[in-house]
Amino acid sequence: MDITREKIIEVLYESIGELNEQRGEDQQLACSPQTPLEGGGGLDSLGFVNFVALVEEKCHDRFGRTLVLSGAKVNPTARDPFETVSSLAEYIELDLTDRLASWS
Amino acid sequence: MSRIVKGLLISDFNVENLSAYFKNDSNAPQVVCQVAPYGQVTQSLVDANLPFWQPAPDFIVVWTRPESVLESFARALSGFTVDCAMVRKEVDEYCQNLLLAKRRTRIVFVPTWVVPTFHYGHGMLDLAPDVGVARILMQANLRLLENFDGSSNVIPLNAAKWVELAGDKAYNPRLWYLGKIPFGNDVFKAAVRDFKAALRGIEGRARKLVILDLDETLWAGVVGDVGWQEIVLGGHDPTGEALVDFQRELKALTRRGVVLAIASKNDESVALEAIREHPEMVLREQDFAGWRINWKDKAENINDLVEELNLGLDAAVFIDDNRMERARVREALPSVLVPDWPEDKRLYPLALRSLDCFDKPRISEEDRHRQQMYTTERQRTQLKARVGSIEDWLQTLDLTVTAETLNAANLGRLTQLFNKTNQMNLSTRRMTEQELLAWVGQGNRRMWGFLVSDRFGASGLTGILGIEAGDRHARIIDFILSCRVMGRKVEETMLHVAVGWARSLMMRSVQATYTPTPKNKPCYDFFQRSNFRDDGDNTFVWDATQEYPLHPAVRLLQKK
Repeated sequence: MDITREKIIEVLYESIGELNEQRGEDQQLACSPQTPLEGGGGLDSLGFVNFVALVEEKCHDRFGRTLVLSGAKVNPTARDPFETVSSLAEYIELDLTDRLASWS
Repeated sequence: MSRIVKGLLISDFNVENLSAYFKNDSNAPQVVCQVAPYGQVTQSLVDANLPFWQPAPDFIVVWTRPESVLESFARALSGFTVDCAMVRKEVDEYCQNLLLAKRRTRIVFVPTWVVPTFHYGHGMLDLAPDVGVARILMQANLRLLENFDGSSNVIPLNAAKWVELAGDKAYNPRLWYLGKIPFGNDVFKAAVRDFKAALRGIEGRARKLVILDLDETLWAGVVGDVGWQEIVLGGHDPTGEALVDFQRELKALTRRGVVLAIASKNDESVALEAIREHPEMVLREQDFAGWRINWKDKAENINDLVEELNLGLDAAVFIDDNRMERARVREALPSVLVPDWPEDKRLYPLALRSLDCFDKPRISEEDRHRQQMYTTERQRTQLKARVGSIEDWLQTLDLTVTAETLNAANLGRLTQLFNKTNQMNLSTRRMTEQELLAWVGQGNRRMWGFLVSDRFGASGLTGILGIEAGDRHARIIDFILSCRVMGRKVEETMLHVAVGWARSLMMRSVQATYTPTPKNKPCYDFFQRSNFRDDGDNTFVWDATQEYPLHPAVRLLQKK
């Protein structure tokens, strides 16, 4: 299957939808590219764990590629991929198309 | 159950996801959970001074991994040979701690042990003696259940079912290594569904009545058009076989205390003929507590039926193949549960089995015979219509009321009735077996169960009287009667027993204070006409220097 930004965004929105089942009405994450995933209005540690597991699993099911996001924040000089839905989609696209070296 | 139910989750793994699903699941009851410190199961169970025990939670869930609490099992996972006697000993020790905690809460839920499939997979060795992980797990689970037999407020739940329902999403190594969450979230969702069904059942909120359509629901085809000989039911036909299985499942429900009824747009004589004559009908006329087979609006018919059977609309489930009829009943009677129903009739048995609204903690003798009781009630009503006055009717019934004090033999049935009765209920308290025993344990209190029988048969335990003696005045705390026997002078017989007990203790009066709820006005109405003096503020008083008369048509037996 072709790996495109749009399809990755779809996966992220599906993951947000499932994650929202665990969250109260006032804690729902919006399905939007600008939705922050960290910091105020983002995910707490448990939400982060669940979200990462969901995205990794869905990317594997959808694209047949292994994605490991749990180490995605280790480079302190690079941008944090979890800033927003949009930045995470960009990061995943680079990873799944073997162009992660260009992430900065 | 409008109040928020408070739970406590104790586990050796991260149960925050379970807590989140509890909180955000929209089904009743509303639940909020505390989570005991992760991995401290024994400390949490043993130490009553830990802060999460105050105030006492309404229920606790103790969910552990067998390799965490049973050392022998962990050794088996590592390939060692294990002595099964040692496994049983470790299970017993674990259960001793668990049983300590049951005193601090109303309900303890214990999911059975499961192991992620990636933990074993030794092929033929899985079920071998002493080394087979699957075999040892079965033995450990069986021992776990045996430890809880007879503990009324410890309820084991089958976690293997949740794992099966979750399929290949049951285990998620990513969640385990990222957050020490051993199960996929579909397992937690299935678990919350079962926990909540159990909580509803324990609170007496299990559904008690299934109202069924006939054409295209109990059988395929329109009987009014094709005649009973041509409807599809049984035979060498996939749909016919499925419908027979569906009827068998419905019949099985009646053995769990669920009552069946019919709401069908048909000619009554034609439909009843099909029920009587079709050779493959599993459900016959006597299997239905009542019916409305006519051309009226189904919502109206269901309302009538529920009233006739003295049940609440919130006790009813309506099953109909017709989407429009379902929508109409949903809109007109929102308290009635109207499940979506599959178009494919071969899926009917599965659809029925998947309803969790009938869950109860146990099945009483009354449950097993409830359908029969409704049939005999119909005969009583027919007799009442034939006999002129109510007094004449009572004389023909040959009514016997047996009052027996609370004891080990009737505790389960009494608790069930105590927690499910709404209409004739003075105070509508809800209590577990333990709480009832503790309440009666005070020397100045007494509780009786009342069994009613007449010439048509026994109605079983249908009444409860709880009374408390003060210095000079006695107070009726619980006055509960099943609607099935209301209006047969059983209410007055219970007051006769209450006043008799108060007089034996030289009490000057017997007082009953009615606590109104949305459903218990029949109790107020009864006390209004009971000849107890109305002192205002919903309080009714009897001068205990006088005996409260026993109706001459009633034979009263008193057992200790």
